[in-house]
Amino acid sequence: MKAMPTLEGGLRIDTEDASDWELLRSIIADANGCEADLASRLGALISEEAGSEDWEEYIVPDLREGFQDELAQVGAAIEAAIHHASGAAGPIWITPDDVFPWYSSLNQARLAIEEHFQFGQREIGGLKKLTPERRAAYLRSQFYSAVQGLLLEHVMK
Amino acid sequence: MAGSDTLTRTEEQTSLDVPWNVIVHDDPVNLMQYVTFVLKKIFGYDAKKATTLMLQVHKLGRSIVWSGEREKAEFYVQQLQAHQLKSSLEKAG
Repeated sequence: MKAMPTLEGGLRIDTEDASDWELLRSIIADANGCEADLASRLGALISEEAGSEDWEEYIVPDLREGFQDELAQVGAAIEAAIHHASGAAGPIWITPDDVFPWYSSLNQARLAIEEHFQFGQREIGGLKKLTPERRAAYLRSQFYSAVQGLLLEHVMK
Repeated sequence: MAGSDTLTRTEEQTSLDVPWNVIVHDDPVNLMQYVTFVLKKIFGYDAKKATTLMLQVHKLGRSIVWSGEREKAEFYVQQLQAHQLKSSLEKAG
C-alpha cells in the first residue's frame, strides 16, 4: 500500500491487493471492537459533581451518534472504492472535505485497540514474542497512526 | 384576634460563581500534533499557547486548558470529547 499527498490538498492511498482493502476495512471493525463504546468511555471521565448523570443522558448519545456517522461515512467510502476496483489493486482518495471523518475513524480504531490491548514497552521491544492477535493489532494501530500523521501533515493544516 | 401587619424584607446577595476548569488528560493514543490542532481549533489559541498546554498534558498527565463559567466549560468539554480527547471539568480551587 502506498499513500501520497494530492495536488488538491488531499491524500491518495493506492492498495496493491485484496489484503490491503481488508486492512482498510479493519478500521471500522477495530473502532467497533470495544465492549464499551468511545462515547461512554469518555463520558465516564465526568464526575458526579460535574453532572455525570445529565452527561450520560444528554451528551453521550450525541457523541455516540456523531462517532457512528463518521465510521459509516468512511466505511461507505472504502466499500465504494473496493467495488470500483473490483476488489483488486486500486486507489482511494481522502479529500480535505472528508478528512475529519477519516481522522476520527482512524482515531476511534486506535483508541479501541489501545483500550483492549493496553500496549506498552514490550511491543516496542520485541514483536516476535507477541501472540499473533496482539502483534496484528499493534501493527494495525501503527499503520493507522502513520496515516493520521500524513493527514495531519498534508491535509489538516 | 387583633389584626397584624406583616413586614416582608427582601435581601439580595450577589456572589461570583466559582469558576470551573476544563481539563485535558493524557492518553497514549492521541498524537501530540493533533492535540495542539484541537486546542487551536476549539479555543482559538495561538500555536505557542496550544503547544505549551499540549506539552503540559504530555509531561504532567493533565492540563487545565480553560477556566470560566460552568456552561461554557461543559460546552468546551463536549467539543473536546467530540474530538476524542480525554477531557473533564472540575470546580476551580
